[in-house]
Amino acid sequence: MVSEEYRGRRQWSRNKQAVATVLWISFLTAAVATMLFFAVFDPVELLAAFDADLDVGRQGGYAAGFFFFWIIAAGCSATTAWLVLTAPKRDAQHR
Amino acid sequence: MSTPTNTERPRAAALYESAKKIYPREIKGRFESLSKLATNVLLGLFYFVPWLMWDERQAFLFDLPARKFYLLGLTLWPQDFPYLALLLMIAALSLFFFTALAGRLWCGFACPQTVWTEAFIWMEQLTEGTRSQRMKLDKAPWSWNKLRRKGSKQLLWILFSLWTGFTFVGYFMPIHQLGLDILAFNVAGWTLFWGLFYGFATYGNAGYMREQVCKYMCPYARFQSAMFDKDTLIISYDEARGEPRGGRKRSVDRKLEGLGDCIDCKLCVQVCPTGIDIRDGLQYDCIACAACIDACDSIMDTMDYPRGLIRYTTENALEGRSTHVLRPRMFIYGAVITLLATALFTSMITRTPIILDVIRDRNTLYRELPGDVIENSYTVKVINQSNADRNFRLSVDGVPGLTLDGVAEQFTVVGGDVLSLPVRARTGRDNAYGIMHITFTVSAVDDETVAITEDSRFLGPTP
Repeated sequence: MVSEEYRGRRQWSRNKQAVATVLWISFLTAAVATMLFFAVFDPVELLAAFDADLDVGRQGGYAAGFFFFWIIAAGCSATTAWLVLTAPKRDAQHR
Repeated sequence: MSTPTNTERPRAAALYESAKKIYPREIKGRFESLSKLATNVLLGLFYFVPWLMWDERQAFLFDLPARKFYLLGLTLWPQDFPYLALLLMIAALSLFFFTALAGRLWCGFACPQTVWTEAFIWMEQLTEGTRSQRMKLDKAPWSWNKLRRKGSKQLLWILFSLWTGFTFVGYFMPIHQLGLDILAFNVAGWTLFWGLFYGFATYGNAGYMREQVCKYMCPYARFQSAMFDKDTLIISYDEARGEPRGGRKRSVDRKLEGLGDCIDCKLCVQVCPTGIDIRDGLQYDCIACAACIDACDSIMDTMDYPRGLIRYTTENALEGRSTHVLRPRMFIYGAVITLLATALFTSMITRTPIILDVIRDRNTLYRELPGDVIENSYTVKVINQSNADRNFRLSVDGVPGLTLDGVAEQFTVVGGDVLSLPVRARTGRDNAYGIMHITFTVSAVDDETVAITEDSRFLGPTP
């Protein structure tokens, strides 16, 4: 509970909360996924295996992998958050 | 919770109408010193450690471009991932241990969010002054003084953030070289990106978001209370002693007036970085920084009342029951942590500094050579994890008469490097039929006990 002095001042709206939480938690998830994935796979070898005509180097590979995971995780948690936030309200009698 | 009288309410509203942010008041005290110490030690370590050297290279370097981690004399490879997993388990259990012991110690003293926020608040106080000065400054119209104070705060914040981003990147690539590259305006794109990214995150989180991160974005803040029990030390207001609260003159005998020890000075609220009133009871917004303990103790001293109206105590103690901080739970957590730490430490110091990878050539099952000889091909990768060059021997076992071709009796692998050997294993046709399991062994020439084996298969014709 926020003290009397600050009541209602520093509260985030539900949407702001949802956006910040989705971005932050998917960021953490992406960081862990990137770590696990690249502990096993070397981006340079991976690109070579696919005969990809890209020369982004290891650092580029790590970055691309991180953002890939971030987008996937953010998409997943954004959809979940959206479905939960917009779920039909329960009837008062079923509460 | 306090119920302000009608005369108080409009006044408070008018005073704080434009106050959209929390202005934590500065306070001195035992816990403040402790928190300052923690902040200085942790930030000091963060900014100093990348500059440490070990044998002409960075002592702590997570060299992602080269896929090697250097920790003092130790070089870790992606194959050493289990160590990291073990380390993370120890960290998680330690968090449980400390949470069960004394609540959110992590939040109040060690979390990067808190530590950097402390540093940013310190810079804010340096440029904009005390709590009341900052509130006045924010309400005042723009003037040369306001511009100067706000501007110097931003300058400090931005410089500090940039240095933070630079230090962060310095853990992942040699920091000396990085520094030189920056001075020469010659920084690679991704390096620059991550440095600015981390710097900006620090600026935003510690400068502006502050307690909002703990409140809305932190998973630990939500589930930590599940680790509490009635013997966990938490920061609490002693309601039985404090109530009924109320203002009074110092000379008044509170017992005669029927007052408790709380003089309702609201100092505990003003010092709180998350803007809560600890007197409302345990709340998940509380990051356990203990600023309210210091604040209240200072008031108790002035009033000549005993300290500890707000203190670290357990639920059992507050309810007048006996309390045992050292309870079985603490010993179990402690034992598991000790066990894991011992396992990590022994496996690290006794590990064999070689990695052997054997990949069978998948294109052909086997080849028949003249003279009734069957041959299989392999790619053998030998990684020398030590820092010095070393001579090794490769041998194979599991099928009678099996010999190796394509590898010298001894070969040298450069320290911290990989040697890839195309190797052929041969045996007579009489010995080879179907799928047979074989074992490759690589051992150091100077020390036969330093050896590692890897299983593979040898294919022969099916009868």
